[in-house]
Amino acid sequence: MVVPVGELEVPGEPPLPTGVPASQIQGRNPWYLAWLRLRRNKVALVCGAVFVLIVLFCLAAPLWAEHVAHTGPNENHITEKVVIDGQPTNVVAPDGTPIGPGLHGQYLLGADQNGRDVMVRLMYGGRTSIYIGLAAAAVTTVLSVIVALLAGYYRGWIDSVLSRIMDVIWAFPVLLLGIALGTALAIGGLKIGPLAIAGDSIWIPIMIIGFVYVPYMARPIRGEILALREKEFIEAAVAQGKGPLRIMFSELLPNIISTIIVFFTLNIANNMLLESALSFLGAGVRPPNASWGTMIADGYEMIYTAPHLTIVPGLMIIATVLSLNVFGDGLRDALDPRAKIRLEH
Amino acid sequence: MNTLRKVVAIVCITPLAAFGVAACGSDKGGGGGGGGGGGDINVALTSFPDYIDPQLSYTLEGWEVLWNVYTPLLTYKHAKGKEGTQVVPALAEKMPDISPDGKTYKLKLRQNMKYSDGTPIKASDFAYGIQRLFKTDSGGSVFFNGIVGAKDYADGKANTISGIKTDDNTGDITIELAEANGTFENVLGLMFAAPVPPSTPLDKDATNNPPPSSGPFMISKVEAPRTLTMERNPNFKTVKDAGADEVVDASVDKITVTENKNNSAQVTDIEQNKVDFMVDPPASDRLQEVKTRYGNRFRMEDSINTYFFWMNTQKPPFNDLKVRQAINYAVDPEALNRIFGGRMHPTQQVLPPGMPGYSEYKLFPGPDMNKAKQLIAEANPADRNITVWTNDEPDRKRIGEYYHDLLTQLGFNATLKVIAGDVYFTTIGNESTPDLDTGFGDWFQDFPHPDDFFRPLLHGDSILPTNSNNWSRVNIPANNAKQDELLTKLIGDGGVEQQYADLDKAYMEQAVWAPYGNERFTTFLSERMDFDKSYHHLLFNQDYSSFAIK
Amino acid sequence: MARFIVRRLLGMIAVLFAISVIVFLIFNVIPNSDPAARIAGKNADPALIARVSADLGLDQPLPVQYLTMMKQIFTGQLMSYAKDRNVVQQIWDGVPATFSLCIGAAVIWMALAVLFGYMSAIHAGKFTDRALTILSLVGISMPVFWLAAILLYFLTFKIQLFPTGSYVPLTENPVGWASHLILPWFTLAVLFVGFYSRMLRSNMLDAMNEDYVRTARAKGLSERQVRIRHVLRNSMIPIVTLFGLDFGQVVGGGAILTETVYNLNGVGLYAGEAIRSLDLPPLIGVTLFGAFFIVLFNTIVDFAYAVLDPRIRLGEAAPA
Repeated sequence: MVVPVGELEVPGEPPLPTGVPASQIQGRNPWYLAWLRLRRNKVALVCGAVFVLIVLFCLAAPLWAEHVAHTGPNENHITEKVVIDGQPTNVVAPDGTPIGPGLHGQYLLGADQNGRDVMVRLMYGGRTSIYIGLAAAAVTTVLSVIVALLAGYYRGWIDSVLSRIMDVIWAFPVLLLGIALGTALAIGGLKIGPLAIAGDSIWIPIMIIGFVYVPYMARPIRGEILALREKEFIEAAVAQGKGPLRIMFSELLPNIISTIIVFFTLNIANNMLLESALSFLGAGVRPPNASWGTMIADGYEMIYTAPHLTIVPGLMIIATVLSLNVFGDGLRDALDPRAKIRLEH
Repeated sequence: MNTLRKVVAIVCITPLAAFGVAACGSDKGGGGGGGGGGGDINVALTSFPDYIDPQLSYTLEGWEVLWNVYTPLLTYKHAKGKEGTQVVPALAEKMPDISPDGKTYKLKLRQNMKYSDGTPIKASDFAYGIQRLFKTDSGGSVFFNGIVGAKDYADGKANTISGIKTDDNTGDITIELAEANGTFENVLGLMFAAPVPPSTPLDKDATNNPPPSSGPFMISKVEAPRTLTMERNPNFKTVKDAGADEVVDASVDKITVTENKNNSAQVTDIEQNKVDFMVDPPASDRLQEVKTRYGNRFRMEDSINTYFFWMNTQKPPFNDLKVRQAINYAVDPEALNRIFGGRMHPTQQVLPPGMPGYSEYKLFPGPDMNKAKQLIAEANPADRNITVWTNDEPDRKRIGEYYHDLLTQLGFNATLKVIAGDVYFTTIGNESTPDLDTGFGDWFQDFPHPDDFFRPLLHGDSILPTNSNNWSRVNIPANNAKQDELLTKLIGDGGVEQQYADLDKAYMEQAVWAPYGNERFTTFLSERMDFDKSYHHLLFNQDYSSFAIK
Repeated sequence: MARFIVRRLLGMIAVLFAISVIVFLIFNVIPNSDPAARIAGKNADPALIARVSADLGLDQPLPVQYLTMMKQIFTGQLMSYAKDRNVVQQIWDGVPATFSLCIGAAVIWMALAVLFGYMSAIHAGKFTDRALTILSLVGISMPVFWLAAILLYFLTFKIQLFPTGSYVPLTENPVGWASHLILPWFTLAVLFVGFYSRMLRSNMLDAMNEDYVRTARAKGLSERQVRIRHVLRNSMIPIVTLFGLDFGQVVGGGAILTETVYNLNGVGLYAGEAIRSLDLPPLIGVTLFGAFFIVLFNTIVDFAYAVLDPRIRLGEAAPA
């Protein structure tokens, strides 16, 4: 059989060979095709690189802290003086105004009201924020996939129960739920059986954020599973005698991997935004630890005299989230050029 | 008069005419007319008063608003500084006659006085007010527990308080205490003890329909928690005519008090003369600007409060005196002052300036990190895990972060716990809360008597299972006895103030706290206000009767 | 059809019930949230605390407390612990500000989304498209409270273009009402414009390849008529349904940050205060209020889907 021209082409893909017997056409791995498509999307690649750069920047925090700034992220230097341009200057002036940004190794971005080095905090804060974003995305993904697989495969009453639970979580105003849980758990910590998490552990915000977004991911994936379930290859697998778990993990799961990847990437971005909102309201990362959200909250009190304290962490969040969003978009275009995946955000 | 109109005109034109900014400081009657100035002013605050009810209100904002609305039998002199801490007669003819054993107080109500709605003020109204304290479960009721029969009344076992006897014909009021109590006159001067007519609900909060007033202002409108309006009390002259000289008349016709959560917006409003007075101090990042550019209508004011770090003296490592002394050496009041934007007066005493019994000295000259580290090395505590507590209000949070870092520098393994402001004190005051090692503390006076500080904060009996204010869990029998002994005397008695000062030193020698500052408040007025006339009272904050338009 | 409605209504009630129970439990599990200790004041003795506790009914078993609270909500008598104010009244007072904010923002975001999406789609691949896409993406990457703070700083302080915060009721002063709300509207809208405009763009691009468009062109309609009458209209359907869901979320509690930063006395601000003071009655009140709107709009959207797509009414598998 000869492959007719125009029928199976997708815009932007390498052209299919024509006039050649089908048996001689080399098949192409869908992942390889996706990678080719992604490679063509320069903007997405740049953004992906930007994200990696930001991560590296934050990982370099201890190096900067030790060799350039000579201070940790939580060390206060309120009444100390630092030498700028040969002049000893107050890190925090007697009226409470901290030193501003400038080209000096120490306090490159100035100090905050507790006399802490903002650049050092920015880098350590980034580590915290990005870590929370990634970990929470992992939590959401794992939970969502489990819920979606169970609900989509079994349907019936399991689906009803799980969907109702998803409805309840969905109906709970996201911020209120996050703050309520954050405040509740911060004081006493969390104890489920043998698992005990301290109130100020970073895992509290991670669990909360991860939990809150489960319905957003679980529903679309469930939809896909429901559609996939009707396909013949599932019928074949059942006829072959494969058990439900095997079907879920070896038949259904591989087909939704690309959806999961896209959602995961976009979810990191949402998580970072939610973390910053929770921290801003005091229900996320606990003081004195830095995260970009707590830095915005701290800076907000000084916004009229030292606006950079608020602006800079915000710009970091925007840069990170934007690069993730663009890259995630590019991933979606690459993995699914017919735009079957619709993210319910 | 004319000056006022010009100022008003300019104020209304300058701002954002393009967007038609509303509310131009509603101002009718531009000055002139009969006595006491006049005009309408507006006041902004971040936190609306908790209750518009004299028996229930227990916050700075509430007391500030209600002082010139509800007049008790006694009041505090309307003067700034230490003079204002003096208790003087108000609705009573003179200071009470106290029996030699200190247990019986006799007062006489002035004659022919009326509330703002025309009802006559009767002696039995005082008893009714005290009954309301108990029936509404007011926080202020604890100050009156010492009255004979109060407990039985509170528990419902009696219909009246047997220890209060009143005669409406003569105006005589007799109060029996179970024991002599030198703070009782102070407590009689608080609005908790203000007479209210029996039409006021006995066991319900009256905020939405406040009782008629006995002061220069009356509350004419309440829209809690956004705004309230106070206007001149037409029947106040009955109080003045009855001879109550120490109660001061109003100098403006109307005050509108409005809540605005945004402190910075308030500062801008005062700078632009859209608002006349802000109750809260300007936020630290606007303070410098206000001080330099508007210095002619801005002033720092003293207030009676102490900020300190409490240390649990019953648990390691703070059960070791050396460790507590080390903290006192290490804490730098100047650093904390800078966190506060320059509004903290440094201290190492329990009592604040302005409180009788205050004397300044430094037992722990410093800050001296080296001495602190040396003391810690000597003490060598085995338990280096410390939980540091603070609440989430911006300044408190930063103070907590400073303290946490300080302890880390001293070699401890410190964990910071930040608790929501509204539940902070009940959390640290609850003995079932684990890991109560040390943390932020502050105390604002209820009345200017040293017992108000020592008893709840440092007396052994104040170590309670809940709502304890003795966060350092201090129990020094000799000092407890001294407090009890001094309570039976009057502050004016010879030597009592000095003994309180000695008690202060005795506690600090034991380093029960690490005090570092007294917060100062501010007066910031719009241009049209008479800046010199308006003053800040040490107990009731800004005296609204001192507001006047130039 | 009637069965469908009844089923959905029952579902709504079940969800609201579950939420109220969850909030109630969360706050009874927190240590030191006992309101009696707080209300009794800083100097309280145990006797006073016990009286307060009895008066508030806090010494009753939890299920009884829950039922009492629910009854009080529905009779409009629920009082907050902290300041003894009527919760339902407070929520009602906050509704004008919240609705003004949300509806205004929604109008702006939909208008801009349609405009941007349309422009992006018809100039796909060119500079306009790229610029608008980047703009949209930046918008959805911003923390909303950060944007609010920045706008406040630059446009009310550095350059005094707009008045600072606070809500002015519409009935009091329409111009003031609008001028105080412009920045909040814009702030809230920025979050959604990006997402919606890009969705419209991709829907329109898909639609432009459909057969019915080719037919319309063949019929002789101008390109403009084709775009607006056929492509745009058909692309809007999924957008409108998603809008329903998002609007419900925004009214339900998404506005909390915007209201806090701009100091608008809406339900969101009240919710924030309730959480800060760990005050259970207002908390249940605002959560139910929020959840009600979210579920309401969910139901409306589902209902619209059912009207448009008979398969759902008849209970077949839901489309992805």
